[in-house]
Amino acid sequence: MPDKDEFLRHWAGRIGRTIDKEGRLYFEVAAENLLEVVQCLSRTMGCRLSTATAMEMYRGLEVLYHFSHDPTGRYFCPRLVLTDLEDPKAPSIAPVVKGAEWIEREMSELLGITFVGHPQPERLLTRDHPKAPRQPLRRRRTK
Amino acid sequence: MTKTTIPVGPFHPLLEEAEFFKIHVDGETVTGIDVDIGYMHRGHEYISEGKTFTQSIFLVERICGICSTSHPIAFVHAVEDVDNVDIPVRAAYIRTLIGELERIHSHLLWLGLAGHFIGYDTLWMWAWRYREPVLDIFETITGNRNHYGMMRVGGVARDVAPEAVPPLLETLDMIERKMDMIAKAAADDPVLKTRLKGVGILSRQAAVDYCAVGPTARASGVSIDVRKDEPRDAYGLVDFKSIVLDGGDVYGKLVVRVLETVESIKIVRQCLEKLKTTPGTILNDVKEISAGEGIGRYEAPRGEVFHYVRTDGSNRPVRHKVRAPSYMNIPTCAASCKGIPLADALITLAAIDPCYCCTERAIHVVDGRGSRVAADLIRLSREKTDRLRRELHG
Repeated sequence: MPDKDEFLRHWAGRIGRTIDKEGRLYFEVAAENLLEVVQCLSRTMGCRLSTATAMEMYRGLEVLYHFSHDPTGRYFCPRLVLTDLEDPKAPSIAPVVKGAEWIEREMSELLGITFVGHPQPERLLTRDHPKAPRQPLRRRRTK
Repeated sequence: MTKTTIPVGPFHPLLEEAEFFKIHVDGETVTGIDVDIGYMHRGHEYISEGKTFTQSIFLVERICGICSTSHPIAFVHAVEDVDNVDIPVRAAYIRTLIGELERIHSHLLWLGLAGHFIGYDTLWMWAWRYREPVLDIFETITGNRNHYGMMRVGGVARDVAPEAVPPLLETLDMIERKMDMIAKAAADDPVLKTRLKGVGILSRQAAVDYCAVGPTARASGVSIDVRKDEPRDAYGLVDFKSIVLDGGDVYGKLVVRVLETVESIKIVRQCLEKLKTTPGTILNDVKEISAGEGIGRYEAPRGEVFHYVRTDGSNRPVRHKVRAPSYMNIPTCAASCKGIPLADALITLAAIDPCYCCTERAIHVVDGRGSRVAADLIRLSREKTDRLRRELHG
C-alpha cells in the first residue's frame, strides 16, 4: 500500500486531521489505533522509522512519528495528541519497531510521557547521572 | 570461564565523544553490550528555538565536526520543505559538491582509523595523507577546512569561481589515483580480508529492525540512500551508483565506504564541470517562512541525517528536532557484537563509524588486588591481525 491515496482510503474515518503536502503526509491518530497504524506502516508498507518528535503545544503534548517509505521518498507521519498533562501516557511502538526504543526513552525523559509497554523503560540520557532531574524538562512542569 | 564487564568510557581516549559501552564478556567471548549516552547532550534543539533560521545554520553546523555540512543541508532542506522553496541550479551543484567532499574526507578518516585499530598503520597514514588535499579543496571553495558556513535557506552563501575549478580538478585526479591504489591494496590483501571477513555480522533483518541507516544498512543488503530515494539539490542531475552489499560484516562496511568514496569523486568531478558552464545566481531571496511543518534529510557519510522544523510564521522555529545517523546505528552493536571474540569487538564497534577518535588505547580493568583482568582492546585486535598474518605468510 505505498500509495498515499490508498492509505487514506484504507484508514478513512479512523484518522483525524490530515495535512497532505508534496511527499509528506501528516495525520492525527487516536491512541487506540496507533499500534495498528504503525504495524500497517512498518510491516505491510515496509516503512522505516526515521525518528519521532515530541512537542509541547498549546493543546497538549504531541508525539509525531516519522516513517520513511524509502522506495518513494515519502514520509508518513502519524501524530498522537496527549491532552492529559498531569499524566501523559502513550502506547509504546517499540515492541513493533525495535528502532523506536531509544527515541521513546528520550521523549519519556525530556517530556515526561509514559510509553506503556516499553521493553526497557529507563532514562536514556541520565540513567547513571548522580543528580538526575526529577521532573521532565518541559516548560509546564506538571508531574 | 569468568563473566566480566569491560567498561569503555564514558571519558576515554578511544572515544572522540563521551559514550559509555559496557561490554559483557564470558571468557574471551562478548555476550552482550550495553550503551549509555547523554554525556554530550548540549540542548541544541532548545537553543535553536531561540535563534533565527540563518543563525541556526551555524548552530547545527557545530553538532558534529566531521558532518559539519550534512546537518546544515538537512536543516535548510527542512525549512525549505515548509514552503517548498526552490533553489538555483548553481546553488544545487555547490551544495552537492560540498556534501560529497565531506563524504570523501569522512570515509578516508574512518578508513585510517579502521586500519589503525587492526594494526595496519600504513593504511592509516595513507588515508589521512590523502585526506589533506580534500581539506585543501574545502579551504579553496569555502575559506575553511571545517565548518564551512556555506548553506543558506534558498541557496548557498558563496560562489565557486570558474577559474578555481581547473586546479581543483587536478587535485581530484590525484586523489582518485590514490584512492584506486588504496582500494586495490585493500581488496588484494589476504590478511585484511581474513581479518575482517565474517567479523561482526549485522544481518539484514537486524538492520531493518533497528532502522539502521547509511553504510551500516547498505553493507547488510538494505538498499536505502537518501540521495537516491529523495534526490534533492543536484543528486537528480548527476550520475552515480548507490553501493549495496550483502554480508553485513566489517569487511562489507569497509568495501561500501571505499566504493562510495570512488562514487563521490565522480559526483564531485561532475559538479565541478557543471560549475564551469552553469551561470546564474546562488541564492533565492526568501523573505519569510510561513507557519507549517517541514522535514529535511541528507545522506551524511554515516547515514541519514534527519531534521524536522515546525514554524509559526516568524523567523524562528517553534520546534526543531535533530536526529543524527549514529543514534540509529549505535544500538545495532548489540546485535553485531554478540558472540564475537573480544579481539573483534573494537573493530565491530568502530565499523559503524560512531565518531571514534584515533587515540590508541581502551581500558585497563584492575581488580581489588591491583592486577589487570582484561587486556586492552586495541592490543588484542592488533595481535589477532599479526597472528593471521603469520599464518598466511609464514
